[in-house]
Amino acid sequence: MNIYLTQPATREMVKPRRTARAAFSRKKKKINVKPYLFLTPAVLMLIWWVYKPMLGTLRYSLYDWSMVPGTEAVYVGLSNFKKLLTNKDFGTAVINTGVYILGMLPFSVILPVFLSVATQGLQDKVKKLYRAFFFVPMIMAPVAVSTIFQWLLHPSNGLINHLLQTAGITANNISFFSDERFARLMIILISGWKMLGFATLMFSSALSGIDRQYYEAAALDGAGKFRSFFHITLTMISPTVMMMIMMSVLFSSQWSMAYIDVLTQGGPYGTSTNIYYLMYKYAFKDMNVGVCAAAAGLFMLVFVILAMLLQKLSSKVAFYDN
Amino acid sequence: MKKLLCTLMTAALTVSLLAGCGNADTGSQTASGTAADSGIGAQNTQDSDLLDPANPTTVTFYSYSLGYPSMKDGMEHLIRSFNETVGAEKGVIVEGITDDMTKFRTDIQAGNQVDVVQMTFGQLDSARTSLGFQAYEDIFPADELAEHLSGISENAQALAEIDGKMYALAFTFSTPILYINGDLFREAGLDPENPPATWAEMLEYAQTIKEKTGKNGLAFSPTNGWVTEGIIYTAGSDMLNADKTEAVFANEQTFAAFETWKEFYTSGCAVAETDSEAAQEFMAGNAAMHIQSTSMLSGIIAASEAGDWELYGAAMPGIGDNEAVPVNSGSCLAVRSDSPEKAAAIWEFIKYATGDEGYTIITSEIGYLPLRTYLADDPAYLKDFVDQYPLLRINLAQLERIRPVTIWPAKNGTEAFSVFTDAVQKALTSDSDVTAVLTQAQEDINALLQQ
Repeated sequence: MNIYLTQPATREMVKPRRTARAAFSRKKKKINVKPYLFLTPAVLMLIWWVYKPMLGTLRYSLYDWSMVPGTEAVYVGLSNFKKLLTNKDFGTAVINTGVYILGMLPFSVILPVFLSVATQGLQDKVKKLYRAFFFVPMIMAPVAVSTIFQWLLHPSNGLINHLLQTAGITANNISFFSDERFARLMIILISGWKMLGFATLMFSSALSGIDRQYYEAAALDGAGKFRSFFHITLTMISPTVMMMIMMSVLFSSQWSMAYIDVLTQGGPYGTSTNIYYLMYKYAFKDMNVGVCAAAAGLFMLVFVILAMLLQKLSSKVAFYDN
Repeated sequence: MKKLLCTLMTAALTVSLLAGCGNADTGSQTASGTAADSGIGAQNTQDSDLLDPANPTTVTFYSYSLGYPSMKDGMEHLIRSFNETVGAEKGVIVEGITDDMTKFRTDIQAGNQVDVVQMTFGQLDSARTSLGFQAYEDIFPADELAEHLSGISENAQALAEIDGKMYALAFTFSTPILYINGDLFREAGLDPENPPATWAEMLEYAQTIKEKTGKNGLAFSPTNGWVTEGIIYTAGSDMLNADKTEAVFANEQTFAAFETWKEFYTSGCAVAETDSEAAQEFMAGNAAMHIQSTSMLSGIIAASEAGDWELYGAAMPGIGDNEAVPVNSGSCLAVRSDSPEKAAAIWEFIKYATGDEGYTIITSEIGYLPLRTYLADDPAYLKDFVDQYPLLRINLAQLERIRPVTIWPAKNGTEAFSVFTDAVQKALTSDSDVTAVLTQAQEDINALLQQ
C-alpha cells in the first residue's frame, strides 16, 4: 500500500521541481543575454579595428599593390614571400630584431628593478623626485629625443666626441650613427634610456604592494639585504618582471623603430635595420604593400608563438601573493 | 527600468557602430573612385578662363626645399610671391607642403590631394608608373608649353623625358662644387686660390690639413646620394647600360676611384658621416673642404660670415687625366591633375616657378642655377647677384660637362638604388674589399632589374 501511496506522492513532488528548474533555466537564459549585449560593441570594434585589418594584411601578402587609391591589386600567389626571404636586408633585419630584443632587456627589466629598489627606501619627497626624473624621457617625443642625441653624438661638433678626445680615449671623431660598430648600440641605448623610466615606475608600483611583514620576518630569521632582495623582493614582483619581459620582447622592435628612422634610416648599409623598419620601407618607400604584408604576416606568427611561450613561462615562474 | 535603459543604450551603441562601419566602407569606396578618376579625365586644351579669381583653385605643392633651413625662406618667398601676383589675378592659391621625399607618396596612398611635387629625377619613372603623375604634353596646352620652354636649354628639358614625353620640368638645379675654407688652407700652408685639380691631389691636401691644423681635410659623405654617380662618370665608368636593363658600374675604373675615396676615411683626414653631418662640420669651420651642391650656398655663406672665415670655391676635382663629369642635383616639378580647372591652375604655377621671376628667386635666395641661363647676364634679374657670388659661375661653367643623374627603371628601381647606396657605403666605410662589395652589388641589382 505504501508503495502505491508513495508513488503518486513522488510524482507530485517531482513535477513542481521540474517546473522550478525550467523557470530557473529560462531566467538563467534571460540573464545570459545581457553580458553578450554589453560585450557586443567592444567585440565589434575589435573585429573592425583589429581582426579585419589583420585578415586584410594576410590577404595583401598574396597581392602586388602600391596602395595608391584607384590602382588594382594583382594576385601573385606566394611570390611576395619568396621576394621577402631572398631580400638582402631580411636576414640582417631578423638578426637585429633579436639583438634589439635582447639589448632592451637590461633597460626594461634589470636596471629598473635595481633603480626602483634603490629608491624605494628613500624619503617620500625624494623618492617622487627621483621617479619623476626617471619618467621624463618616457614622455619626450621620439623625434625630439633623436635630435638631442644627434647633437650630442655629432661626429665633429658633438659633446661626446669632444669629451672622448679630451680625455684621450679616442684620437679621431666617431660617427656613431654611420659606423657599423656603433649604430645598433646607439639605437639600443637611446631606446633603452627612453624605456627606463616607464619600467622603473612599474616596478616601483609592484614594490609598494609587497607586505612589509615578509621583510620583518626575514630580518628576524637573520636574512640580510641581498637575501631579502633575491628571496622576497624578486619573488613578490615576479608577475611584474614577467609582464615587463613579455612587453619588452614583443614591443622592443616597435620602440626602436622611430630612432632607426630618424637617426640611421636602417644604415649604415642596412646594418641597424629591424623587421618593423624593413616593413615600413617596403610599404612606403618601395611602395610594395605585398612584401610588407608578407613580412607582417610572418612576424605576427613568430610573435604569437613567442607570446604563448612567455605566457606559459609566466604561469610557471610568477608567484602571486593571494 | 534602469536595466531596460542600459539594455536600450547598449543596443543603440551597437547599431550606431554598425552604421559607422557602413559609412567607413562607403567612404573608402568614394576615395578609391576619386583617385581612379585622377589623371585620366584631364584635357590638354584647357585655358585660363577655367579659373575664377572669385573662387580660387587650390593647388598643393609638395616641396622638400621647405624642409631645409637654408632653402625654406626662398621657397616660401616663391610661393607667397606667386599667390600675391599671378595667383591672385588668375584665381589660384598654392599651398606649400613640407615634404621629405616620401610624404607625397604616403599622401597619395592615403587618397590626399597631391598636385605638384618637387621630385628628384631618380624617382620620376617609378612615380609616373605607380602614382599617376602625368606628362606635360598630355595636360598642358601645346602652344603655351612650347613657348614656355623656349628659354630653357634642350639638355635641361631632356632630363625628365621618359619614352619621348616630358614627365616633369627641371626646377631647382645645380652641380656639385668644391667649397673651401680659406683660413684652414692658409693655416696648413696651402693656397686657397690653387685648389686641388684631382682626387689624388685633394687627398694630399686633406692629409696636410689634418696634420697641420688637426681639423679634417674633407667633409664628404659616402651617403651623399648623388655626387657618387659623378665620381663614377669622372672615373670613366657608367651606372646603367643604354636601355637601363643592366648595371655596369663594377669595373676597374670605379674600383680605383673608390680606393682613393676610401683612403680619406682610412687615413683619418675625413669622417664617414651623413651628408647633413658633413655639411654641418664644414659650416662649423671643422673641415677645410666640402663637396656639395650650390643649393647650400646661402647657408654656407651665412656660416662663413658667422664663423669669420673666408669662403672659396672650385670645380669638382677630376680623376687622373679625366676632367670632372658632374651630375645634376636638384629636382623637377611633376604634376597630377584630376580636372581641366586643376590643370589650368597647376600650369599657371609651373609657368611662374620656372619663369624669369621664379628662377630669380630660387637662384638669389637659395643658390640653385638659373635654368634660363640668360638671366645670369640680365641686369634686371640675376647679373648683380652672380657678379657678387662668382661661385655660381663655376657651376654655370660645369653645365657644359654635365650628365643627368640616373633615372632608375620603375620596376624595382627604388630597391636597386638602395642596394647601390648601401654598397657604396659598405665599400667605403667598412673593412670589406671595394671590388668584392661593388661586384656583388652589381649582381644583386641586375637580378632585381631582370625580375
